[in-house]
Amino acid sequence: MATAREKPRPLIDNLTRPFWEAAREHRLVIQRCQDCRYFNHPPRSVCNACHSAALTFEPVSGRGTIYSFSVMYQPNVAGFGDELPYLNILVELEEQPQLFLVSNLSEVQREQVRIGGQVEVYFEDVDAELTLPKFRLIA
Amino acid sequence: MGALTDKYCIVGVGETPHMRPSNRTTLSMACEAVKKAMADAGLEPRDVDGMTSYQAGDSTTSNHVATSLGMRLNYSVDIFGGGSSTEALIGNTIGLLEAGYCKTMVIFRSMNGRSGRRMGGQAPSGPVPPTRAAEDNQFMMPWGWTSPAQRFGMSAMRYLRDTGTTTKSLAEIAVAHRYHASLNPKAVMRHPITIDDHQNSRWVVKPLRLLDCCLETDVSACLIVTSRERAYDLRQPPVFIMGGTGRTMAPNSAWNYSRPEIHYVAGNYGRNRLFGMAGISQKDVNLISCYDAFTFTTLIQLEAYGFCGKGEAGEFVKGGRLQIDHELPSNLSGGHLSEGYTHGVSMVIENVRQLRHRADDACPGWAEGTHSYDRQAGCRQVKDARIAACLGWGTETMSSSAILRGIAA
Ligand SMILES: [Zn+2]
Repeated sequence: MATAREKPRPLIDNLTRPFWEAAREHRLVIQRCQDCRYFNHPPRSVCNACHSAALTFEPVSGRGTIYSFSVMYQPNVAGFGDELPYLNILVELEEQPQLFLVSNLSEVQREQVRIGGQVEVYFEDVDAELTLPKFRLIA
Repeated sequence: MGALTDKYCIVGVGETPHMRPSNRTTLSMACEAVKKAMADAGLEPRDVDGMTSYQAGDSTTSNHVATSLGMRLNYSVDIFGGGSSTEALIGNTIGLLEAGYCKTMVIFRSMNGRSGRRMGGQAPSGPVPPTRAAEDNQFMMPWGWTSPAQRFGMSAMRYLRDTGTTTKSLAEIAVAHRYHASLNPKAVMRHPITIDDHQNSRWVVKPLRLLDCCLETDVSACLIVTSRERAYDLRQPPVFIMGGTGRTMAPNSAWNYSRPEIHYVAGNYGRNRLFGMAGISQKDVNLISCYDAFTFTTLIQLEAYGFCGKGEAGEFVKGGRLQIDHELPSNLSGGHLSEGYTHGVSMVIENVRQLRHRADDACPGWAEGTHSYDRQAGCRQVKDARIAACLGWGTETMSSSAILRGIAA
């Protein structure tokens, strides 16, 4: 049985720490520009839209749409061997067009995956230090 | 037209066999490829004074290769990168030659792409050890989303849905490139395949099957570029560099951002520059190499570079259009799908051989440019091959290209 420790883990840095700390508290936050209100993900040093450095993290609804998905059959990734085939989804959050998050769809809903499916976030505590936002279909 | 159009030529090409595994160093393989390219061109070590290469922390560097072969270089720079590098380095090279940094330049790639570090993240013994995912990767890898097949698969899935294309169009590309490999004694996979073979092959990353994926091999491959004045005195008919692009970006280099769709790839932004510099249109192109890390990357670049309209590539490739003796033969060596994976160099090499009219096939007189055009007898020379487009690919957000012209047809 592969353990969570074998899977790739985030190398959290000063830029990304607020995202991961919020996830530990089961909250989804996304970096947002305080000048033009644009959401940036992954977090950026300057705003993708207006190049301002006034960036802080704000809560988002955690609701979105499946923009695309892929199903992994290869045992390439350490720690994922027991989960094959597993599903990755690209979620477009409802707050902004093309505000994308890579994630997984809930295991039990694997057969229902479709582009355009409505999803909401839930949080999976991997261990004491790491929580991953994941998604489940709501419609 | 570009200021340097037709002023510089590819004069030498060479490569090692595609090995699985090589049991050799990248330096040993690079020396073999460079020596073969020099012999092909009729150049001596003292004639070469520039060298450049690309790698991913997995290869030797120009200074070591040059020292091994007895060259003293006036220019030696190695860059970081993968599939978007070959044509970009051709662009660098003609600028450097024009400026006088050196007079004849080697471009090479050498890698144990199968027995060493693999792009898919798989070590020879199995999955890679636990990874700490830095920077943007920390928002991808913890969910098990790490390999090129996974990333491009995500784009492919959305493309298929947006355009109504089916995976049978991907199969057309696999079949065409394999057919060409069947005519290439150097290719790793030479038995022809059918659409059904593709459809019945196992999933790697849905929507990509095994026969959608390239063949990772251990290999080195090399090109040599010099001025046309020098080229006229060398062994081979010169192949002129008409124009190109180097690592042209989509508006945001993060793979999934700021485009109309995630499959509106970088070639769309390089297309007018490429054809404008070359001074030709798509209709003038006799053959292409269209980067086939996966069948999907070939498909999507046919649209990006304007060989068909947006959303039309799935129809365009049907009926064998990419096969030799049809409208737009693609990847005549078999490409990365069937000859072997070189991060792009081998595709340019094949185009050079085609434009010289010296495809190294089963025809006894190929080295003198005598071909039968009999595919049953193993001839892979494109009749009247005059202009070739080389369409490189790094990711959805980055691509390089070149257009080459020959005089031998
Ligand atoms: Zn802003």
